[in-house]
Amino acid sequence: MTHRYIKIGATAAVLILAFTGLMWSTLREGTSYFMYVDEVMANPQAWEGKPLQIHGYVVPGSRMKKPDTLEWQFKVQNNPARSGQPGQVIDAYYKGIVPDTFNDEAEVVLKGRLTANVFQTEPNGVIAKCPSKYEAAKASAGL
Amino acid sequence: MASLGSFLLLTAFVVCSYAAIVSVVGARRRARHLIESGIGAFYLVMALMAAASAIMINAFLTDDFSIKYVAHNSDSVQPLFYKITSYWGGLDGSIMFWVFLLSIFGSCAVYVNRERHRELIPYVVATISTVQMFFLYLMVVHNNPFTTSLTNVPTEGEGLNPILQNYWMVIHPPSLYTGFVGMTIPFAFCIAALITGHLDDSWLRAVRRWTMVSWLFLSLGLTLGMIWAYEELGWGGYWEWDPVENAGLLPWFTATAFLHSVMVQERRSMLRVWNVTLVIVTFFLTIFGTFMTRSGVVQSVHAFGKDETLTILFTAFMIVILVFSFGLVIYRLPLLRARNELDSWVSREAEFLVNNWILLFCAFFVLFATMFPTLSEAVTGKRLTVAAPFYNKWMVPIGLVMLFLTGVGPLLAWRRSTVVNLRNQFLWPTTAAVVTGAALSALGIQLWASGLCFALCAFVVTTITQEFLRGGQVRRKNTGTDLLTAIIGLVGRNKRRYGGYIVHVGIVLILLGFAGNAYKIDQQVLLKLGEQTTVGSYTIRNDGVKVDDDGQKQMMTAYVTVFRGGKEIDKMYQAKWFFHKHDETPTTETAIRRSFSEDLYLVYSFDKDHLKTQSASLQIVINPLVDWVWLGFGVLALGTGIALLPERAYSFALAKMPAEATATTAVGLLLVLLLGTGTTLSAQHATGTVDEAIQTSYFARTPFERQMQHEIVCTCGSCGHSTIAECRKDPCGTSHKLRGELAALIDQGKTRDEIIKWFTTEYNSEEMLGAPIDTGFSRLAWLFPYLVGATGAIVIGFAAVRWSHKGDQQPEGPTAADAALDERLDDELRNLD
Repeated sequence: MTHRYIKIGATAAVLILAFTGLMWSTLREGTSYFMYVDEVMANPQAWEGKPLQIHGYVVPGSRMKKPDTLEWQFKVQNNPARSGQPGQVIDAYYKGIVPDTFNDEAEVVLKGRLTANVFQTEPNGVIAKCPSKYEAAKASAGL
Repeated sequence: MASLGSFLLLTAFVVCSYAAIVSVVGARRRARHLIESGIGAFYLVMALMAAASAIMINAFLTDDFSIKYVAHNSDSVQPLFYKITSYWGGLDGSIMFWVFLLSIFGSCAVYVNRERHRELIPYVVATISTVQMFFLYLMVVHNNPFTTSLTNVPTEGEGLNPILQNYWMVIHPPSLYTGFVGMTIPFAFCIAALITGHLDDSWLRAVRRWTMVSWLFLSLGLTLGMIWAYEELGWGGYWEWDPVENAGLLPWFTATAFLHSVMVQERRSMLRVWNVTLVIVTFFLTIFGTFMTRSGVVQSVHAFGKDETLTILFTAFMIVILVFSFGLVIYRLPLLRARNELDSWVSREAEFLVNNWILLFCAFFVLFATMFPTLSEAVTGKRLTVAAPFYNKWMVPIGLVMLFLTGVGPLLAWRRSTVVNLRNQFLWPTTAAVVTGAALSALGIQLWASGLCFALCAFVVTTITQEFLRGGQVRRKNTGTDLLTAIIGLVGRNKRRYGGYIVHVGIVLILLGFAGNAYKIDQQVLLKLGEQTTVGSYTIRNDGVKVDDDGQKQMMTAYVTVFRGGKEIDKMYQAKWFFHKHDETPTTETAIRRSFSEDLYLVYSFDKDHLKTQSASLQIVINPLVDWVWLGFGVLALGTGIALLPERAYSFALAKMPAEATATTAVGLLLVLLLGTGTTLSAQHATGTVDEAIQTSYFARTPFERQMQHEIVCTCGSCGHSTIAECRKDPCGTSHKLRGELAALIDQGKTRDEIIKWFTTEYNSEEMLGAPIDTGFSRLAWLFPYLVGATGAIVIGFAAVRWSHKGDQQPEGPTAADAALDERLDDELRNLD
């Protein structure tokens, strides 16, 4: 019986080690930090080059599109402008089709990396939320 | 009416509580009238929920905007169809719909099993009632869908979210709910079996079909969700590992595992603890999935409302489920011990075990990854997110292993596979996989991961084809019909097994579609008027942008012409619709040009400048093989439908089959099957060129021969000692031979005793006799049941006398239940198979 338990224990240990190792290596590549604008801008140098998802609100009137292209420049701030305390602001660049709800004051999550001057949003990296209505949509979509 | 609705919900809660309490008390005191009262109350909950639902739908139909839920999810101009479906369009209504469905499912399950599993039913009623109580409590105290606006009653509603105004979305939530709710039934039976200690395999038989039905609805719900995301959300894909999607997938994994492992318990009496655990975990995951999507505990790219109260209530409920269920499992561990051990790792049960581990791993991996942001925030204080690439990195290899096991399973024998058996079984499937892999490599398709997936698909399809052909050939020899008729007869004779194979074909097609994703092309372009671009083999020209208004919405449509090989092949119109009441959330109307090789998928992104410049921003996606995913689900549903066909319905169909049934019938039937009408019939009694001797050995010609076929047991070793009259599920060579010998003996005019003597002498054993010979020592075997019966009667009598002195409760007289008991026993005996 003891021999059997050793075998089971050894197999379990190997499986757990392999699983942990694989999980560790894939997590290092596949994760990004979910941050708010204020958190990033408190010490932007620390976050440069790291994969980030930044949560914020589009600064009204800041969206600019280069004519006849899909290139966008805009600003995102920590809180909505209507709150009276918009918080820190970050400049962002994106090339591609933006979501339908990407409007002034839209709540957005940007995926990409921070460079010295601007947040470089990756392709399909602009996710705009619709706080009031989308909730019901997804709630019933999934459950 | 809103007050009546609230009152009905409150009444349903009270009645549920009564049903739960009275059922448990009735079961403990063995008081039939209390148990019946509990069942009656349980049915009443269904009636109350139906009435509450009718009030809610009526409120939607009559535009009663004083009810906040109606005002929030409907408006007066909404089409009638969407007014009705708005019932489950929002959070509060969806919880109510959940309870309504559960009450229907629960009532059906109790009604069907009330006699057959009489000892379990009180606890089944109590368990389902407790789950209903939880959701009713949520509604009564927290999410009442009948809450009204006391002041400022709106004169118009806000309308259902436009993206939900889609026919897929109309049937997707009910389907998914049905799948989720249905998993409560196996859980309730499992808890009842654990409490009562009736842990033989009978409770499994009661829940197997329910699990299969729920699994089918869960699969349907997930597929419809994918189709909806693909057609309506307009991002070019159908699965993004979003927490909301994952919530539906988690119980699917564990339910799939259960549907496999239940076979091991039926065949080998193994994995008993495992099966109980899977049923509990599956139910737990349905509740956990609901918790994830409702409480906002998981951060998603989609906005979830954070709800602290809901979080606390769900957490408490989940803790109760886990502690109570696994407490019972630990308490009943002695009764759950396996009666057999794994003979070999090269056996079907071992393969099922590995398959179960992997499926369970999938469930926990997806759960871990979904909860990872929340976990990382709790542990490190920083919210780390994981996205689709992380999931794919893990799930692609796991999916390939699962696909491989799907192919291997049917090739392995139960208990142990010999080397000869392995060589014989694996030769063609392995050849098919190697040839496919080599051909794909020669065509320049990369082997990892899509090439390997295609090769494994070939492996599995060859396996299944081989199973059908081999089974069909044996049956053809035995029945003398053509191969096609024989195969259809084979499917009819063993619907679970061959229905399961058809489900596997569906899974193969779905994975084929997933593999095609590796060759997806996704480009975003801005085309000026008349300008064209080439993506893949398609050239797309912008023909301009137009605006229309139908009163309900403004439609911005981009017109394009599609060319292929220099020839115009299509005109496509993709649009953005701005509903007047929801102009901040336009809906995407994709244009999809479908074919089985690939979809051309166009999405238009509107910009105000486009009206002036006639330029169009387009997302152009080429999705190879995507339609195989939908087709695969169709095949999966067909296979599940075949596996679910009732035995009696089939026997009836069999009996009515004309004797002249021929291949033409078979071909017709196959076409009907392929068209998805889901009916299988078999030309079982087909004659034509049947060899008279073979048929004689199969079908009893006289009542005496039938009687003898029921007295002799087949010794093939894989049928669990069925009689040679019954061992026909798989064409069994041993029983065929035995029936032939029996027929020959009868032809020689032997009597019953002579025949029995011949068999016991010939095979040197009494093992093959359905009942021991009533002489000598064997007479003890006859006496034994009577001794046990007499002892039991004495014990019961003694207990009855003892208990009758306890409290005021009078035990029921034995005669009261006799008729029902006989009926139940007959019923059980009929279902012994």
